[in-house]
Amino acid sequence: MNLQTDFYVIQLLKIEWLKIKNYSAFIVLGLFFLLGILGSNYAVFYLKKNIIDKADPTGMIASSSPYDFAHTWQTTSYVSGYLLLLPGLLLILLVTNEFAFRTHRQNILDGWNRKNVIDVKIAMALIAAVISTILVFITAIIFGFAAGSSFSVTHIDAVGYFFLKALSYNMIALLFAVLVRKTGFAIGLYFIYMGFENIVSGILQALSMKFKAEYGFDIGNMGDYLPMNASDGLLHFPENTITNLANNSKAMPHDYMYVSLVLALVYLFVFYAWSRNRILKTDL
Amino acid sequence: MPVLSIESLRKDYGKIQALKGVSFSVPKGCVFGILGPNGSGKTTLLGLIMDILKPTSGSYKLFDEEPNESHRRQIGTFLETPNFYHYLSAVQNLEISAAIKQRGKEDIEKVLETVNLSQRKHSRFSTYSLGMKQRLAIASCLLGSPEVLVLDEPTNGLDPVGIAETRELIKKLAQQGKTIIMASHLLDEVEKVCTHVAILKKGELITTGRVDEILANEDIVELGASDTVRLQQFAEQLGGYSNLKRSENLLQLYYPVGTANLERINQHFFNQGIVLNHLHLKKKSLESKFFELTN
Repeated sequence: MNLQTDFYVIQLLKIEWLKIKNYSAFIVLGLFFLLGILGSNYAVFYLKKNIIDKADPTGMIASSSPYDFAHTWQTTSYVSGYLLLLPGLLLILLVTNEFAFRTHRQNILDGWNRKNVIDVKIAMALIAAVISTILVFITAIIFGFAAGSSFSVTHIDAVGYFFLKALSYNMIALLFAVLVRKTGFAIGLYFIYMGFENIVSGILQALSMKFKAEYGFDIGNMGDYLPMNASDGLLHFPENTITNLANNSKAMPHDYMYVSLVLALVYLFVFYAWSRNRILKTDL
Repeated sequence: MPVLSIESLRKDYGKIQALKGVSFSVPKGCVFGILGPNGSGKTTLLGLIMDILKPTSGSYKLFDEEPNESHRRQIGTFLETPNFYHYLSAVQNLEISAAIKQRGKEDIEKVLETVNLSQRKHSRFSTYSLGMKQRLAIASCLLGSPEVLVLDEPTNGLDPVGIAETRELIKKLAQQGKTIIMASHLLDEVEKVCTHVAILKKGELITTGRVDEILANEDIVELGASDTVRLQQFAEQLGGYSNLKRSENLLQLYYPVGTANLERINQHFFNQGIVLNHLHLKKKSLESKFFELTN
């Protein structure tokens, strides 16, 4: 990225900031997200410490805290992943607002080009993913120390996968918003699609297990090859007695993580290219 | 140098042809009206030249160059509806427009004053009446004092006082030498405000030119002769006409409706030894144009 490009994106983001700094949904959803990440991780932390440990003093189920260092990166990323619908929702609102108010047109009339209109939203999706990742990083450290362990960066790659997942959630939200344009429809489509993909993913997982059991070929969990599940599948809860029981079962297909990773990147590019093309080539 | 020149611009929406290959140009410093009934393609035309819509075919130039966003920054445009962020105030909205136009904030107070919105400048846009929204849109166009303004039905939704004020403002801006391109479905408005006009009907350009020629409520007698100098000299002795104009090889005499007598005119020139090679009566009136437009 050269200096001129830096300048270009910062110029656009300054204008975007004028649009959102007084937008109440931005402030409310931002706060919900922040409290959600801290709250949900605290809930899991508390559950393990005060309920599971008391019910299972021998440590049969899980001996160490999932927030001990090394595990905290995976746990915080995994737990926080469920809250990524919130920044996605915010992006849908920011994009569909432009269509509802017709300000996407006015921005062009005032002197933006079509590229500026979509680039600034892609930059917003990226920034939201970066901020989410920083939040998760800080939360993981806080809970890691709270669990009484010493600092370690083992498994920190989970935070990287979280970033990829956050970006995928934001980019598909952006795509739906650009394609549908209506706020209610886009939000509905976003949530329905997420639920629908999980159902299909469950069916594909069952099919993958059936193929492995009956025909002996193992191409991994096909459910993890769907657009959202590809990045979802990169994040796992840290290994413990229960997850080990499930994952080591011979019925489970092999976890081809690198396939999910490549597919997640391919899907991201599709979301990017499709939404950009839509704004560049069609009537606004 | 024309501010805008359009060449065979065409826009189809599926089977519907919204604009059927329209060509014209807008000279600098004029108030150019794009006149036509609802659905005639006025907003489509403006949307195309502002890159909101993609043309099916044809091309256009802004300031005699291939159009881009830097040209749009030199044009204050209000298209179809006032487009602002509902949750922001007038000032906050204009700050966004000014930033995109790459102009400073110093104009904001002045333009709000011009459209009488200073009192409500900190109210949210969503609390504005239709007339106030319209005036804010015009204020936004004036930011940075652009040399060219594109206004789509600028008096739509305004009360009679607002309409009069807006027309006065447009005239004032024109007197400052600004070029104004204005779409309207009101013949009367175009006649009062514009110097030039292009008339659209169902996506087709019917005619374009100076308003006083096209919408003249007068009879025009066109005269031609091989010796144009003598033709003009003796035409001036004719009397009875309200205006005399020369266009290329022809003379145009403007008569109040029904008073032009072709026989007498022909006789007059013949008596002076001038043989006319062209004598034609053009009847044009507001009503006939209106009839042409709406039927």
